Amino acid sequence: MIRLRTKLSLFNLLTRLIVMALFIILMPFIIGRINLRQVDFNLIEKRERMISLISETGIEPFIISDTSNAFGSYNILKEEFISLEKIDTAEDLNYIEVSPRLIDGEEIVYRVLNYSFDVDDQKYLLAVGKSIQSIVDTGKDIRNVMLIFLILIILINFIADYQYTRIILDPLEKIRNKLKLVSDPALFDMTPVRTNTSDFIELDKTLCALMDNINQLFRKEKDITVNISHELLTPVSVLRSKLENILLIKDLDNDVEARIEESLKTLHRLQSLINSLLMIAKIESHQYLREDSFSVKEVIEEVADEIEPLSEDAGIMLIKEFKDDISIEKANRSLIFSMFFNIVNNSVRNTPAGGRIIIESRKQNKDFSVMISDTGKGLTGEQKELLFSRFRMRNKESGEGTGIGLAIAKTIADFHQIDISVDSDQGKGTKFTFLFPGKSTF
Amino acid sequence: MNVLIVEDEKSLAHEIAGFLRSENILCETASTGREASEKIAVNLYDFILLDIGLPDYNGLDLLREARRNNSDASFIIITARGAVEDKVKGLDLGADDYLAKPFALVELLSRINAVARRKFNIRDSDISLGRFEMKVQARKLTCDNNEVDLTKKEFDLLHYLVLNHGKVLTRQQLYEHIWGNILDDQYDSNFIDVHIKNLRKKLNAHAPSPWLETVRGVGYRISIPE
Repeated sequence: MIRLRTKLSLFNLLTRLIVMALFIILMPFIIGRINLRQVDFNLIEKRERMISLISETGIEPFIISDTSNAFGSYNILKEEFISLEKIDTAEDLNYIEVSPRLIDGEEIVYRVLNYSFDVDDQKYLLAVGKSIQSIVDTGKDIRNVMLIFLILIILINFIADYQYTRIILDPLEKIRNKLKLVSDPALFDMTPVRTNTSDFIELDKTLCALMDNINQLFRKEKDITVNISHELLTPVSVLRSKLENILLIKDLDNDVEARIEESLKTLHRLQSLINSLLMIAKIESHQYLREDSFSVKEVIEEVADEIEPLSEDAGIMLIKEFKDDISIEKANRSLIFSMFFNIVNNSVRNTPAGGRIIIESRKQNKDFSVMISDTGKGLTGEQKELLFSRFRMRNKESGEGTGIGLAIAKTIADFHQIDISVDSDQGKGTKFTFLFPGKSTF
Repeated sequence: MNVLIVEDEKSLAHEIAGFLRSENILCETASTGREASEKIAVNLYDFILLDIGLPDYNGLDLLREARRNNSDASFIIITARGAVEDKVKGLDLGADDYLAKPFALVELLSRINAVARRKFNIRDSDISLGRFEMKVQARKLTCDNNEVDLTKKEFDLLHYLVLNHGKVLTRQQLYEHIWGNILDDQYDSNFIDVHIKNLRKKLNAHAPSPWLETVRGVGYRISIPE
């Protein structure tokens, strides 16, 4: 997985590196050729200057015919030399060769231009040489300079390209971040991203339209749930008042009394089911405020206090290990309370007498988590999968309640971006872990 | 006390009125906002039970109107609309309490009484239960002048039963009073039974408490000994 920006930059860099490699491979050859030509030109030029010097002053300053047959001159470092000697051949010579020369007892290889000419019927050989070493050195210098220059150009080019792609892809980055931040389409940032790249404008517009669409559908669905719930609550209310009034009649037959209470119980089940659905719909449509700041430890302490009489009565040991605490902001305290309460109460229902329930709070590295584990009968794989779904098969043994409590807990956790996970082995117990978001503020 | 019930669901208004009358409270009902508005303008009420989801009127407007008319009435808002904003808005406009549908009639009565005590500055008097004495202001229970150590929940339960003495309260009614609606789903008849069991244990350690009765299949009742 590579980001587009990196991909583009890498491609840029790669093409440049290929160009550079090609250049480096070909450079010695090219530079060698150019250098050699330059040297040869140089030698020819020197020859011409020598010839014109000789034609001006005659051969005498160089070769005094009686005493010696040759003249030689070289610079101190023996990089170049010029020699003049008498020769006896009929043919005219004019060629360049590579040959070793012995100068002051040191053998040095030169590139030599040999040229013959006649002065007063005497044939002379002019040799102009440049040491191969100096030629190679010059070549190296040129190569180094060029290499540095090349690297510099590629570097500047790469940086410029990188920055440009960064700037040009910035809107895409913004769109990506917008999408990444959104946990709910209702919270999508609809302000258009500023760019003049038509593709991005198009993308941004399409996304906004899509979010808006999803939003409307969501809202419609939630409105329906909320409205249906409200419509249902009024008749429930009427029935409840009627039954309660009947119950208040003096000297009611015991049997009738019990039956009315039965009906009230059933009615209550309906009521709490409606209320639970309403609660979930309201949480999901963000109708609950998130304005409280509080300590999580305090809340779980309250939950434990609330549960303790129950667990005691059921013969279950409730162990509190509140090691660490965090303070959270922008949360809904009563919802968080409800979330923990639902889980702990679920554990009490599913743990046999003599069992244990452990509530722990712990901070590890930067993560704060609350764990609730029990020694109950645990869950099968299938049960685990369906655990947080709204209408999972109700376990008849687990007593009263609509079985929607865990779904509520999950909805509350999602609302607060708390990660909730379950660990369970059949026969060994169940462990719920609430992982709070990295920062203590939501 | 004179109460106006503003509720568009006529059969519900009828039940509420029937219940309150059995408690010797004068009741009138109005099923539309306009009817309610006229009644408020003409009559003086101590209490107005207001359903804010009226078909022809925004209930909150009615509240505003009544406040403008210098009505002294205390308002208890009733709604099936559990929206937090409604609750906050209603209380901001000067409503005295708020009840979500469906509610227990005894809960409504206890809210009315609580508001009335506040309004008329009535001090809660101590109540004697055989050898026990409930000091409501101090939230204490004593037996022959020895304090019985009760938790907050146990005291609240006992107090609620005492306030509604002579009536059988169902576990659900008790539960709702103590825990409110937030834990609605987790309602478990066991909750109340456990607390009553603990309460009885503590009471009986001091003196017998035959006045706290279990009504089989229904709930609990306190009969204050004459």
